[in-house]
Amino acid sequence: MNAEISDREAIEACLDGDKEMYRHIVEKYKERAYYLALMFTKNREDALDLSQEAFYRAYRALKDYDPSRPFYSWFYRILKNLCINFVNQHKRMVRMDDYTEAAVPDLGERPDQLFEQNERTALVWQALRKLDDKDREIILMKDFNDFSYQEMADALGIPIGSVMSRLYYARKRLLKNLQKFKGEI
Amino acid sequence: MKCDEARLLMMGYLDGELKDDEIKALEEHLQTCAKCRAEWESFKELKKETSEMKFKPFPEMFWDEYWENVYNKIERGIGWILFSLGAIILLAYGAYEMLQDFFLNPQKPMIEKVGLGLLLLGLIIVFVSVLREKLMIRKVDKYRRIVR
Repeated sequence: MNAEISDREAIEACLDGDKEMYRHIVEKYKERAYYLALMFTKNREDALDLSQEAFYRAYRALKDYDPSRPFYSWFYRILKNLCINFVNQHKRMVRMDDYTEAAVPDLGERPDQLFEQNERTALVWQALRKLDDKDREIILMKDFNDFSYQEMADALGIPIGSVMSRLYYARKRLLKNLQKFKGEI
Repeated sequence: MKCDEARLLMMGYLDGELKDDEIKALEEHLQTCAKCRAEWESFKELKKETSEMKFKPFPEMFWDEYWENVYNKIERGIGWILFSLGAIILLAYGAYEMLQDFFLNPQKPMIEKVGLGLLLLGLIIVFVSVLREKLMIRKVDKYRRIVR
């Protein structure tokens, strides 16, 4: 596979019927897609299924993709919607008492479902869980899914200045939560 | 530079998104503003902590099969489209054959023929769509045994 091929070239080739060129896109983004899905599902098999399904749906919708925008921010919306539907459906089916519609990963009750466990991880994880959805989403995008500012701006439909501003306030609140938890130890 | 601007630039610096001149301007501000400098140190420490959080690694063998699974889905998706088209054409042809006397009867008004034709075609499309959905959900829905 030629590593020099750009997303745009690969997608144009796909639109011309060369399915094999989609491999370039999948190989490039599969890890980010998988870990994003994992943050929603907390389950390896479901994260694998959902991220692969999102790549399939993105392929089918490629003609609607604007190649002047980053691929991953467009793909993010497809994957996020799939994950939200999956989590909400799962919650309804198992009749969870504290049922709420998921819009952002809630990180679950155990950090070891996602991360390699250590004391510091548990603290940051606790502090992240206490953030509201909007703050948690932007921090997860940047610090746990390697979004660039341009990708975040595109995915969230806001200017880059607003991305920086939202990140600033979200991180301030995360720091505050973290200091609180450290003080409690 | 005002503190409001410096706060935003701190994020860009932290995430490696600033240009050289922006970094220089921010560093100059941090040298003169103790409050922003303290904030900057806290953010750096936070970034270090989040970057040290590692996701549980995913077994390499699954990554190897990843593309093949996506490719298979794409191939099967095209297969389902062809299946649907074929089923609709065959069922529509079968319905026409069964009701040929009605459709070829010159005494029946055209509006009745068109109405019945559209009704049957709609029913066939809905039937094939539901059939396809049932077959696909049965294959992928892990929670099908759970009663709502």
